[in-house]
Formats: sequence, structure tokens, C-alpha cells
Amino acid sequence: MSHTKDNLPKEEQVHITSYKDHFSTLIALLLLTVITVVISVFGANLRSLSVFTALLIATVKVIVVAYYFMHLKYDKKIYTWLVLIVAILFVSFAVLTSIEYLNR
Amino acid sequence: MEHTSAFSLPNSGHNRDAEASKMGMWLFLFTELLLFGGLFIVYMVYRSLNPESFLLASFELDVAMGTFNTVVLLVSSMTIAMSITAIQTGNAKKSIFLLYTTLGLAIVFLIVKYFEWSAKIHHGLFPGFEVYDNLPPGESLFFFLYFFMTGLHALHIIIGGIIISVVIYRTKKGLVNKEKYTLTENAGLYWHLVDLIWIYLFPLFYLIH
Amino acid sequence: MTSTALNLNYLQAKKGIFSWIFSVDHKRIGLLYLYSLITFFLVGATLGVLMRLELLNPGKDLFEAQTYNQIFTMHGVIMIFLFIIPSIPAVFGNFFLPIMLGTDDVSFPRLNLLSWWIYIIGAIMALSTLLFGDGPADTGWTFYAPYSVKTGTNVTMSVLAAFVLGFSSILTGLNFIVTIHRLKTPGMTFLKMPLFAWALYATSWIQLLATPIIGITLLMIVAERVFGVGLFDPSIGGDPILYQHLFWIYSHPAVYIMALPAFGIISELLPTFSNRTIFGYKAIAFSSLAIAFVGYFVWGHHMFTSGMSGPARIIYSIMTFLVAIPTAIKVFNWVATLYKGSIDVQPPLLYALGFIFQFMIGGLSGLVLGALATDIHLHDTYFVVGHFHYVMFGGTGFAFFGALHYWYPKIWGRMYNKLVANIAFFILFIGFNMLYFPMMIAGLMGMPRRYYDYLPEFHLPNMISTFGSWVLAIGLLLMLGNLIAGFRRKREKIARNPWGTGITLEWQTLSPPPVANFDRMPVLPKDGPYDYDHKPEIKE
Ligand code: HEM
Ligand SMILES: [Cu+2]
Repeated sequence: MSHTKDNLPKEEQVHITSYKDHFSTLIALLLLTVITVVISVFGANLRSLSVFTALLIATVKVIVVAYYFMHLKYDKKIYTWLVLIVAILFVSFAVLTSIEYLNR
Repeated sequence: MEHTSAFSLPNSGHNRDAEASKMGMWLFLFTELLLFGGLFIVYMVYRSLNPESFLLASFELDVAMGTFNTVVLLVSSMTIAMSITAIQTGNAKKSIFLLYTTLGLAIVFLIVKYFEWSAKIHHGLFPGFEVYDNLPPGESLFFFLYFFMTGLHALHIIIGGIIISVVIYRTKKGLVNKEKYTLTENAGLYWHLVDLIWIYLFPLFYLIH
Repeated sequence: MTSTALNLNYLQAKKGIFSWIFSVDHKRIGLLYLYSLITFFLVGATLGVLMRLELLNPGKDLFEAQTYNQIFTMHGVIMIFLFIIPSIPAVFGNFFLPIMLGTDDVSFPRLNLLSWWIYIIGAIMALSTLLFGDGPADTGWTFYAPYSVKTGTNVTMSVLAAFVLGFSSILTGLNFIVTIHRLKTPGMTFLKMPLFAWALYATSWIQLLATPIIGITLLMIVAERVFGVGLFDPSIGGDPILYQHLFWIYSHPAVYIMALPAFGIISELLPTFSNRTIFGYKAIAFSSLAIAFVGYFVWGHHMFTSGMSGPARIIYSIMTFLVAIPTAIKVFNWVATLYKGSIDVQPPLLYALGFIFQFMIGGLSGLVLGALATDIHLHDTYFVVGHFHYVMFGGTGFAFFGALHYWYPKIWGRMYNKLVANIAFFILFIGFNMLYFPMMIAGLMGMPRRYYDYLPEFHLPNMISTFGSWVLAIGLLLMLGNLIAGFRRKREKIARNPWGTGITLEWQTLSPPPVANFDRMPVLPKDGPYDYDHKPEIKE
């Protein structure tokens, strides 16, 4: 059995992310981290808002990591779709569960 | 071994297929996400049932240490992403160096975690200690979830560290190289997942104010 | 691969036990699963028959209450985690998915072997509670908190076993998804894939995305037992109902892990034995995905009486009725396939028909339980026990046996005695319905489940049920004995396409298949997998 053949068709060019791009991604992530910490430490009077904003910013960070570090941007679109489906699924679990608790 | 028979199937499960490995890795990450997802649902429900206790309990956690560890993980995510760039451009030495850096950052993360945990345990905030058993309702749940979730996360850091060590070893041996770097990519994906989970753990435990 | 190896079939290629238990050949792994599954099934069935014996008459006959509780828990754990969840995917999926796709193995052959080993380790853990610790769990297979945290029996080990078994299930699902995406033979698109592959695809997604939730939930039970922290204890702000939520977020989708592959089997059997194309290929294919998806959002119907909030109950009830639609679509399509087909009544077809009949009863009784008002009356009665046996055993179990009879000549290159197979089917069929239909009646009369004793007014249905269990046991033994006897029958050469009308790719290769699955390039029918008008001619 031949073990050397690669199934990747030739036309699938690999995208190589430059060091500089990775570095910019990191800066963006660090900035977002600073924002969350500042909001939550100094914006204590905005309490109910801060859970929401903290999760929102975390989600933005996650999207940045997935899109650039995890290479979703350059991969086949199916991966993005699958990630979305999984995310929707999880959110539905959470929402359905909380509907129950909110109505107790 | 070559085929002596005239016939061979075009698509074989024994061929090297980088795309299949990557897809397999993604699918595995989905299961990891949902594993933690179950815990996040527990967190959500219990926080909504005990908002005040969760708030009070979270003051025990050290925001500075948490922030520090967040930065450590973000930087390590970058270094491992860069190590892929390095191996793709054929620079194995640089790739190995960057992997070592990632590994080092992982260890830093664990050391900080160790100090955080031992401080809590020192204060008796661990199941089995008197202080813990006398905590008001809700607060003990908060700490238990804290230990459970960060503990499971730390376990993933350790596993990630082992995987990275394997990649270093195989890169040194030349088994991972400019043509074949799926292993580095998959290690990277796994490491980013560990980062992703921390991105949520951090505000949910440290930043309730 | 040498040419001599090509001429040997996969059964002959290597000899010795190690060439089996460390084989990475998907066909051998499929058989490893088959032999282990059947073993556990027989253990579970024996426990079932023992329970029925206790229930023959009211009052205590054979067991203490506690022993009875442990028996039904062991029975449930074995049947669910060791038999029905892996069943069709692990055995027939492993064996036939790669062949049906026209490839020589799954994408990750070694991972495949690993998942069998994990399965065996999980099985040993589950059964070890019989010997070690403080006796097997007595919680029921659902491990509901708070009882599972308080009881002295060895729940920890049973729960860890379920966790490990879940891992095996995840790895199989992962392997199948990648295989389906990457290894279809050139020319086979998603819409030209056999329906069994579609069913496995949908199932694999459930295995992959639902199992982790129960994994982590079970770990919480373990943590609670080990650290003594009441994670689900209301006195410290927890909530036992949350355990039920997490448990059923997995376990309802899990019933589709059991059912969808069975649907896939039926969709293969019917075209072959009615010698015509399947009616509504796309409808069947996509309804699998629809069921998989909607099936994620109905878990609350197991908790109607748990004290869950009113609006949530209504939502779950409506969603439950919604899943019935794609399921009914499948049944209509199957019946339409039979209509005007030239039907060849062979043992596998009998099982398929038995499946349709029993699954209908199971599914319709499920709607009775999915409706709020009736469920309040029927929850935790024998109606439920009857219902889920009709779905899991009468449905999936019968499909499993049907598949075994259908692919038997392909797997082993032998044939069983068809007359005996038919007789065994009828005994099984009568025994099955005698065993479980009275349970539904007892349930309607109000008999609760999970007790070793009952009030005298439930005596009649229980007696019939126990007699049924004996008939069923005879049928099972006759069926298995006949299959085993088939190995010893004088070896006649089995054709590539022994039923004459099989159309999917496995019928184009030798029986049994060579190690690399095909000795020549498989040919796809022109318009889709069930295009009987352009069925490729199969030369021996
Ligand atoms: C020989 C065949 C079988 C017999 C005689 C049998 C009998 C029974 C009986 C009497 C119960 C009710 C126990 C009670 O509530 O007190 C039961 C429960 C159960 N059975 Fe079976 N059964 C058989 C086969 C199967 C099969 C094939 C499956 C699955 C595929 C299965 C799955 C279950 C499950 C999940 C329970 C629930 C256990 C619990 O309450 O925790 N059984 N069975
Ligand atoms: Cu359900």
C-alpha cells in the first residue's frame, strides 16, 4: 500500500500567515483583554451590563483567535460552518435550559 | 511496499491525508468545547440561582494573577501559531524554538495556577476543610465549580504540553518538516482551544464585579 | 500489498487471536464488536428474563428488593451502553461503510481499533461492579441525583464506565464523519451515497456533539461522591433538576443514536427485497439530518413531572411532536417503496417488516408520552417500559438482526438455513409482542416501573408478559443457533450478489471481501445509489 500519496489536490494552495500578522492578532487580543479588565474593575456600578459586555468581548476574542490563529479565515468554508453550527447548538442548550429556570 | 496487482482503489484510508487529520482534529475540538459547555451551563444556572454569593465569592480570586495568566496564554497562542509559519517556510530551528517558548509559557501558567490554588487551599477553601464546609450556600458551589473548571482546564494545559513536546521531538527528528507539518498544525489547534476556554473562564470567575 | 494477499479474503489473511484483537482492518474490528456485543446482549437478556421471572407472580419470589434494583440497573446499563448504542454503527457501520463508499478502510484505522479497546475497557469496568466494591449500582441506568450520590452501591464505577464507553462512541463517530467526507469513491457525491451511509453520518454527528455533555455530567456525579460536595444539592444552592437536564441533553439525542442507524438498515433492505429504487431518496436522507437536529431540543419531555416550569413543558411537548414528522416521512417512504415492488420474502425482509410494525407502535406510544396531559398519568409506569422496548428492541434490535441476516453471506461467505430463520423470526415476533404489549396495558392500569412487586390487580398482564419472555428467549436462541449452525454447513460458493438484487457497492465485491475490500474497481449506478434501471452488471 502506498503511504506517500497525498490526497491534497495540487491546486489547494496553502496560505502561510506572516509573523507580522500573528503579532498584530496578539496586540488586538491584548487590547481586548485590557478593555474587559478595565470595564469590570472600574465600571462596577454598571454591574448587570458588565456580565453582558464581558461575555461579548470574550466572544470577540474567541472569534479573533479562531479566525486568525486557528486559520479559519483561510480554510475551507465548511469549517466555519461547522463551528457556527456547534456554537448555535451550544447556545440553544443554554437558552432552552435557562427558559426553564427563568419561568420557575 | 508497492502494488504488484494492477488494481488499487483511488481513495484509501491508508493514504496520508492532511485534510482528514485536520478535520479529525476539529471534530475532536468540538467535543472538547461541549465538554466544557456542560460545565458552563451548570455555571450559568447556579450563578442565576445564587447571584449574590457568586459575587462575594469571586472577590477571593486574584484579578492580577488571572490577568497575568490570560496574557501568558494569549502570547503562547501566538508563539505556537508562529511555529507553524516557521515550519511552513522550512525553518525547523525557529519552529522548535517557538515551540519551546510555548511550552515554557504553559509551565508559567501552571506555576501561577499552582500558587492561586494553594492560596485558596491555605485559606481552607477546598472541599473537606472546615472553612469550606461552613461557607454560605452558593459560595461553596462557586469554589467547587472554580476548582472543577480550572482544574479540568489545567489538565488540558498539561496534555497540550505533552503534545507540544511530541511535536518538538518529531521536528528534531525531521519527521515534521516543510512538506509534512500536519502535526504542528493540529497541536496548534489544540493549544488554541485551551486558550479559547480560558478566554471565557477568566471573566466568568475573576471579573464578577 | 502482495498479489497473494489480494486473493485471500480478510478472514483468511492472518490467523491467531492477536491478528484479530490488534487488527486495524475495519472488517475485523466490526466483527470484534459483533462478538462482544452479542455476548453482552445475552447477559442483558438473561437479566431481563430473570426480572420477568420475579414478576410472574405478585410478592417476593426470587430476589430481595435491593437485588432487583441492581438487576434492572445492570440490565439497563448493559443494554444501553454496551449493546444498543454501539450496535449498528460499530458492527455494520464499521464493516460496511467503507465498502459502500468504495474505499478500503476508515480514515483513521488505528483510532478505530483504539475505540474498540476503549469499549472493552468500559465494558470490563461496568461488569466489575459485580465483583468489586459494594455491589452494582441500584439507581437505574439514569443515575439520577441525589440518590446516585447517596446510595452505598458502587455507582462511581458504573458512572466511570459509562464515561469511558462514551469516549469510544465519540471516536467511532469522528472516524465515520471524516471517512464520509474524505473517502467516497470518485463520482460518489453526498447525494449519491447509500442511505445507510447517510444514516451513519447523521448518527455520528449526534455521537460527537451530544456525548461530551453526559461525559461531563457523569464526572460531576463522581466528583460529588469523591469530594462530598453536593453539586446538585439544594441546601447549598444547587439543583437536582439540573442533573436531569444535563443527562437528557445527551440521552434524548442518544435515542436517535439508536434509531437512525436502524432507519438506515431498513432503507437498504427494502430496495433489495422489493427490487426497485427507494421511494423518496432525498426525503429519507435529509429527514435523518432533520431528526438529528430537532432531536437535540426535546430532552425536556423526560422531565414533565419533575417540577419543571410550565412554559418550558409546553415548548418541549411541541418540539417532541415536531420530531415525529420527519420520522413519519420515513415510514411513508418505506411503505411506498414496497408498493408495486416485486417483493421477495426473505428472512431479512421479515425483520424489516417486523421493524416497521413495532417501531410504529413504539413511536406512536412515544407521542402519547410526549403529550403533557397523558404523560402525567403514564410517567414512570410500565407504559414507558413497553414504549422504549418497542423502540429500542422491537425497532433497533430487530433491524440489527435483519442486518445480520442480510449481510451474513457477505461477511462470512456462507448461508444459513432460511426456513429455520423464518421460523425463528415468527417465534421472536410473537414472543416480543407478548412480552411488551401487556406491559403497556399494565402501565395504563397504573403499574409503576422499577419495583420487584406489584398489586394483585396487575397479575394477568404480568403473567402474559413473563410467558412472552420465554417465547422470546426460545426465538432468540433458535435465531442465533441457526446463524451459528450456518458456519458449519457445507461450504457452497457464495456469489458476489447472493440476493440477486443488492445494488450498493458491497454486492460488487467477493463474498467474503478481500483484505483491500475490492478486487476490481466498483461501478456506480448511473443515477444515484438505487438506480435499478441502470444496475451495473456484476460478473463473478
Ligand atoms: C430478553 C429481553 C428483555 C427482557 C425480558 C427485558 C425486560 C425488562 C424489564 C422487565 C424491565 C423493567 C424493570 C423495571 O422497571 O422494574 C426492563 C427495563 C429496561 N430494559 Fe429491558 N428487557 C429485555 C431486553 C432489552 C433490550 C434489548 C433493551 C435495549 C436495547 C432493554 C433496555 C432496557 C432499559 C433501558 C430498561 C430500564 C432500566 C431502568 O429502569 O433503569 N431491554 N427490561
Ligand atoms: Cu426523549
